[in-house]
Amino acid sequence: MSADKIDFDIVGKSVRRRDAFEKVTGEAVFSTDVKLPGMLYAKVLRSPYPHAKIKKIDISKAEQLPGVKAVAYYGNTPRIKFNTSATMTFTVPHLEPVLDQYVFDDIVRYVGDEVAAVAAVSEEIAQQALKLIEVEYEELPAVYDPLEAMKEEAPHIHTGCKEGKNIPGDIVKIDMGDVEQGFAESDLVIEEMFKVPVQKQVQMETQAAVAQVSREGDITVWSTTQTPHPTRMILSRAFGVPHSKIRVLNPPYVGGGFGVRIGCSAKAEPIAVALAMLAKRPVKVVYTREEDFIASDTRHGGYVWAKLGVKKDGTFHALDLKGVLNAGAYCSFSCETPGVLGAMTLSVYRIPHQKYFGHSVYTNTTPAGAMRGFGNPQGIFALESVVDMVAEKLNIDPLELRLKNIMQVGDPWCLPYPCGATGMAECIEKGAKSIGWDRRGKLNKPGATKVRGIGVAIGSHVSNSWPFCVDYDNAYVTIQQDGSVQVACGVPDIGTGTTTTLPQLAAEELGVRFDMVNMTFGDTASTPFDIGSHASRTLYAAGTAVVAAAKDAKQQVLEYAADLLDVSAEKLDMKDSEVFVAQGSDEKRISLKEIAYHAHLRNKQFIGVGRIVPPNSPTWEAHFAEVEVDLQTGQVKVIKLVGAHDVGKAINPAICEGQIEGGLAMGLGYALSEEIRYNDKGKQQNKSISTYFLPTAEDMPEVEAILVESNDPSGPFGAKGVGETGLVPTAPAIANAVYNATGIRFTEIPLTEERVFFALRNNKKS
Amino acid sequence: MSLKMLKFTLNGEPMEVPVSPSDMLVDVLRDKLELTGTKKGCGEGECGACTVIMNGKAVASCLVPALKAMGAEVETVEGVAKEKAHPVQEAFMDLGAVQCGFCIPGMIMSSKALLDENPKPSKEEIREAISGNICRCTGYVKIEKAVEAAAQKLQERG
Amino acid sequence: MLQDYYIPKSIADTLALLKDNNGRARIIAGGTDLVLDHQAEKITADAFIDISNIDELKKIECSDGYISIGAAVTHNQVARSQLIQEHAIALAQAARAVGSLQIRNIATVVGNVVNAQPAADTAVALVALGAEAEINSFSEVEYVPVEDMYAGLGKSTVDSTSQLVTRIRFAVPERNQGTAFVRLCQRKALALPMLCVAAMVSLKDDKFEWVRLVMAPVGPKPIRAAKAEEMLKGSPVTDEVIEKAAQLALENANPRSSLVRGSREYRMGVLPVLIKRALVAAVAQAK
Repeated sequence: MSADKIDFDIVGKSVRRRDAFEKVTGEAVFSTDVKLPGMLYAKVLRSPYPHAKIKKIDISKAEQLPGVKAVAYYGNTPRIKFNTSATMTFTVPHLEPVLDQYVFDDIVRYVGDEVAAVAAVSEEIAQQALKLIEVEYEELPAVYDPLEAMKEEAPHIHTGCKEGKNIPGDIVKIDMGDVEQGFAESDLVIEEMFKVPVQKQVQMETQAAVAQVSREGDITVWSTTQTPHPTRMILSRAFGVPHSKIRVLNPPYVGGGFGVRIGCSAKAEPIAVALAMLAKRPVKVVYTREEDFIASDTRHGGYVWAKLGVKKDGTFHALDLKGVLNAGAYCSFSCETPGVLGAMTLSVYRIPHQKYFGHSVYTNTTPAGAMRGFGNPQGIFALESVVDMVAEKLNIDPLELRLKNIMQVGDPWCLPYPCGATGMAECIEKGAKSIGWDRRGKLNKPGATKVRGIGVAIGSHVSNSWPFCVDYDNAYVTIQQDGSVQVACGVPDIGTGTTTTLPQLAAEELGVRFDMVNMTFGDTASTPFDIGSHASRTLYAAGTAVVAAAKDAKQQVLEYAADLLDVSAEKLDMKDSEVFVAQGSDEKRISLKEIAYHAHLRNKQFIGVGRIVPPNSPTWEAHFAEVEVDLQTGQVKVIKLVGAHDVGKAINPAICEGQIEGGLAMGLGYALSEEIRYNDKGKQQNKSISTYFLPTAEDMPEVEAILVESNDPSGPFGAKGVGETGLVPTAPAIANAVYNATGIRFTEIPLTEERVFFALRNNKKS
Repeated sequence: MSLKMLKFTLNGEPMEVPVSPSDMLVDVLRDKLELTGTKKGCGEGECGACTVIMNGKAVASCLVPALKAMGAEVETVEGVAKEKAHPVQEAFMDLGAVQCGFCIPGMIMSSKALLDENPKPSKEEIREAISGNICRCTGYVKIEKAVEAAAQKLQERG
Repeated sequence: MLQDYYIPKSIADTLALLKDNNGRARIIAGGTDLVLDHQAEKITADAFIDISNIDELKKIECSDGYISIGAAVTHNQVARSQLIQEHAIALAQAARAVGSLQIRNIATVVGNVVNAQPAADTAVALVALGAEAEINSFSEVEYVPVEDMYAGLGKSTVDSTSQLVTRIRFAVPERNQGTAFVRLCQRKALALPMLCVAAMVSLKDDKFEWVRLVMAPVGPKPIRAAKAEEMLKGSPVTDEVIEKAAQLALENANPRSSLVRGSREYRMGVLPVLIKRALVAAVAQAK
């Protein structure tokens, strides 16, 4: 594994994805496709109230309906607290994970909260049975805004919040230098509050699980989880069953993730298990799209305050950042998200004095959890808007201002791992060229009713989740008796191409033909522990484990071949599945196939093991947008979006581009139209695809994804994470472009036609 | 509930299956005929994952009562590849248009319906054809390119 | 509970089925709204009578000075019809704006009217075109203007358990007449309109001979901007007159606030812009 090697055989090539053929023919199996003999279908009864105590619940009529095999509620399911998100399995030791959920509880805390569930021989019967469950609620006061929820008069949503009213877990505080001194020494200080919306992942496959419980009590769960191993740990805790008696697997495909199922797929797995235990038959739970919208984790909405102090020449000097996020009704990842918001937003620029204070607050809304970017888009929207304001005040080109202050290798920062490489300057330069930055300011004629503008924003992100949570990886690379190779790793493939890129890494490291490498994945029974696919980490972190395992296996092969060829192992190497003498003129060579079978006949197999604690590495990205604003209607149309990304090394460029393009689309929605709003009864107003305005193909602007390779010294073959970065600075790039077009600074997204319309109107009057 | 015999042509073969009047085509395909390639992403005609081709037109099979297919020719994703993958499928594979794959069967069907009817689609026509197919992974960029490439290939083939 | 599903081949058979079922069977055309309403138990029926296989209802025809659209004609047929594009571009555009291609391939324009949603795009265009529906009851056929087919919010005057709308027709616009359709929506596909406006203008000697100006959703059905229409009648075609009409239109508009599709204030604020754009486009068509 060396980052400076250039002549790769398979790394760096856009090979066809391993899962593509199955997926284009419809043969690929997803959780929603799983059908077992005797399988029952579940439906969930959900709370119509944002906050209520269940005074009485009677399931007897539902149980008596022919075809109903089980009804689960708080009275017949375990009373063990857990957290549906993987945070409960990998919160770092100095912090305590927040466990605030039961499979079912006698208090409901948001509209859509689980009250009971039915398993029946058909979906129709299960649905009918829900109507026969009699529930008497006592409504409790509810609160929806995080700032309101901290006030004295607000109801307690959970007890035991040690840091303050309705604050789950610990407040995140980061300090470097002395911000007060920093602001005192600054020539210009700009401070602004920003409000960010609740966004939804809207992964195409809704939350789903099928659970089977054997007579011995062994549990098998097929599900949409992004993290089979941590999900097993969660189920183990929630049901008091040893890890070894539970198997969690993907079947093997997952219809998207974007963070929505890091841990359980909302409550699909626990509900399926609870019902399967009661019914003693397999049970399938598939969320409807509406359930997916209202009862599975969202991105955190909330407030971000940014105060930036700069010197006259544009040098950034002090940054004070604060975040208060809306946790919703249960904690999920609400402790980690504010941490990532702070740490990422502080680490884009060299700023000697910085401070962050951030936390979440419980409210009676759908729980917020992990979503692509994990707090970073919220923070970057604030920071990159303020940076644009500084550029204008100082009359410095926004690109110049950014280039002057971006983090360089070796700069001190608040993160406990080094900035190993940065291609940020190159991202800015290439992106600027693509968008035509030179045209900025010369786009509009006086009196036009549609005006154009160009904007930029930059950002960073992680390549895995350490130090925000426990993070380690294992992999096996096994040389089969015929010289083919089996990689086993516990990550799933949620669409990010893991099952193609990890074999690419293994093939490259081993020196075997790519078509000889296959992969076992997404199954706790056949792979060693891995924390799963999230935090942009799968290629970077699990890839590091696969490379380590391949290295181990290769060493074993070369040592064995050394005896066969009578050449010392150090002089040997392998390429195209053939061992040859790399040093010296010796022409001896032997195929891996021969070596493996020779070893087999002598009772030996080469099994490489990779056990690693991955480092971390910053990704860098610059986004550019050209927009057109209809001054009469307030509609913002994005003409072109550019994402220039330092990906370290593109192991598979087409897959890298795909990640960025998808991220840009999601960032476009975050900027302009995606938001879940609530009415005054706590009911979600955007709970279907037709009322939640994520982009369709017709809404997409011209998009360009630019790959920049800085060859990170810590990642496999120089690679960094790329899964989340595609939407980190998209919204501020668009908002800055709208400012450039209209002269109006928006501190709240999305930039809906209505918001823009009234801002334009008020601006005209003032 | 009274069952009716639905008779139609499915992927070129005659098919008979008893269905109830309230069954939707998507459920009959997925549950009764075990053709799970057709996906169900919303059940409300808003995501396009369930798209099939009925009498030459792309339709959302979750909004089609199964009995509406009586006598119709229905094509699902399972019927697209013959000896080899269809050029649309090839293009999706070659150009990296596939990510999680859940929208892909619907995308393939919408794209195929377009190209069957209009071998030389404009960019706008491609976008219209797939605008009812939500994809959250790709930003539609490589999907559009794949449909363009498939059209090109089909034209070359004549 | 749905017990039966009929697929008649003729209008006569359809009427006979309605009669035989005595109010327990309901007409289904494309069904894209109906099946969801049925699943949500907003409507009940013992049987559906599917009219989409009746050949005579699948046609868009032009005869005797009328363009008629059969009850089994889909949105996509209308959007792509050369006849409609040439003579009633507002209707073609409205049909193109609905849902997605997969929906437009099934959903019918007549169904869009009978479903009686106030913001139904094609209904708005049809009201502007002065269209009327041919309604078959057991014994009689009557013609009812589309704008009179609303019995309340989401409620049609047509009883689909005893009546069949066979077609909708409108007079072929003259050379001095033009139509336009303008829509404001948060997304280009799969979205209902925040607002839509359809206009039909008849010009004579650089004056508006008459105008039909229709807006939605600003009331329980597609709403005529009656005051603006009245003012426009006989007025010269100028920017000032159009501007005045745009403001007058507000007097007939009473939109609701929606957390999903915009506040009343926004809709009132932006409605004049749409009215203006529709009038300007319709005038351009007529010239």
